[in-house]
Amino acid sequence: MRQTGAYPVAYMFVVTAVFSSVIIGFAAVTRERVQANARLALEKAVVEALPGLYEPGLSSIEIHNRFVEQVTEPDASTGGAYTLRKGGQIVAYGLPFEGQGFWAPIRGIIGIAADKRTVTGIAFYEQTETPGLGAEIVRPAFRGQFEGKVLAVKGKPINMRRPGTPLGDNDVYAVTGATQTSVRLEAIVNRAVQEWQAQVGKEGSAP
Amino acid sequence: MNPAAGGAGARNIAMQGLWRDNPIFRQVLGICSTLAVTNLVLNTVVMCVALVFTVSLSSATVSALRAYTPRNIRMMVETLIIAFYVIIVDVVLGAYWPSMRANLGPYVGLIITNCIVMGRCEAYGNANPPGGAFLDGFFNSLGYTFILLIVATFREILGMGSFMGMAMPFFSGPGWDRWIIMVMPPGAFFMLGVVVWVFRWIQQSREEPQK
Repeated sequence: MRQTGAYPVAYMFVVTAVFSSVIIGFAAVTRERVQANARLALEKAVVEALPGLYEPGLSSIEIHNRFVEQVTEPDASTGGAYTLRKGGQIVAYGLPFEGQGFWAPIRGIIGIAADKRTVTGIAFYEQTETPGLGAEIVRPAFRGQFEGKVLAVKGKPINMRRPGTPLGDNDVYAVTGATQTSVRLEAIVNRAVQEWQAQVGKEGSAP
Repeated sequence: MNPAAGGAGARNIAMQGLWRDNPIFRQVLGICSTLAVTNLVLNTVVMCVALVFTVSLSSATVSALRAYTPRNIRMMVETLIIAFYVIIVDVVLGAYWPSMRANLGPYVGLIITNCIVMGRCEAYGNANPPGGAFLDGFFNSLGYTFILLIVATFREILGMGSFMGMAMPFFSGPGWDRWIIMVMPPGAFFMLGVVVWVFRWIQQSREEPQK
C-alpha cells in the first residue's frame, strides 16, 4: 500500500465523498418528517403558552387538534401573534420570540392575555442551551414563574432577578449557573414584547 | 469463513467483550456517557442501541477498508466512519423520535467521541476481518449496555421511584423519600463506583481458585 504522495489525499477525498453522499441522502429522505416535527413543536409551544389549552399527558395528535381547532394563525392585526378566540373575541395572544441564546437560537412563545399585559405562560420550541444549566428554562419550575406576571409599561417588560431577591409584578428568577442564558432570554423576550406592543398598542391598565 | 467469526472464536469474542475485558468495569472506557444518560432507563436503552449499532458497524467498516487505508491517515478515516454512523442515528432519531433526541441532548452526537468506538476500531477492526470486527464491536457494546442498564435501573428506582417511567410499588409511595441525588450527576459516580467494585470483586473471586 502506498503511504505517501497523492494516494492518501485522494483516498480521503473518495471516502469522505461516499459517506457524505449517503448522509445527505438520509437527510433528504427524512426532511419532511423533520419539518413536521418542528411544526408540531411550535404548535405545542403555542398550546402551552395560551391559557387553558394544555394539560400534561396530551398526545401529539391531541395537541395538534387543539391547535387547529382553537388557535388562529397570526396576521397583521395581531402583530404577528397567534390568538385564542372565544366567540370572536380575542382571549389571549401567543407571541413568538426568537434570538441568539448561549449556544444557538432560542425560539419560543409567550402567552399574553387580552389586556396585553398579563402573561399567561411561556414555552420553548427550540433551544440547545447547556443541559442541566441553561436548558432548565424548559422546565415547569422556571416556566411556571411567568404565569400571572404583569408586563411593565415602563422599562423592561420582564425582569430576571437573582434568585433569593424579592420579586415584583414583572420579575422572575433567573436560572442559577446560567447567567448568559438568562440575560439573553430576558433581552429576547423583552425585545419581542416591545416590538409587538409598538404594533398593537399598549392598553396600559385598560381591560 | 474466517476463523475469528467461527464458533469457538465468536464465543471467545463474546466472553472478552461481555466479561473479561468489559469496556466499563475492566477497561473503564466510555464513562462520560455512562454518567450522563443513565438517570432514566428508557434513555439508557436508546443510547445503548445507538452505541451497539455504531460500534459494530464502524468496526466492521474499518475492518473492510483496512487493506486500502493508508496507515498514516487511518485515524481520520476511522473518525469519519464513526461520525457517519452516529449522524445516521441522529438523523433517524430526529425524524422518528424527536422527544427522545431532545432527552438525550448532545450525547448522541458525543458517541463519536466515545472511547469504546475508537478503541474497538483501533484494537480490533484495524487488524481483523469484518465478521470478527462486527462481533467484537457488538459484544463490547453489549458489555457496556448491561452495566449501564444496571446503573440506570438503580438510579431511576432510587431517585425517581419509577422504572421505564412506570411507578414502582414501594419506591413511588410515601414510605420512600426519593434520593434525588441519584438522578443528578453525582449519583452516577456513586452508582458506577459501586457497580465497578462489585463486578471486579466477582471477577477476582472467580479467578482466585484457578491460580
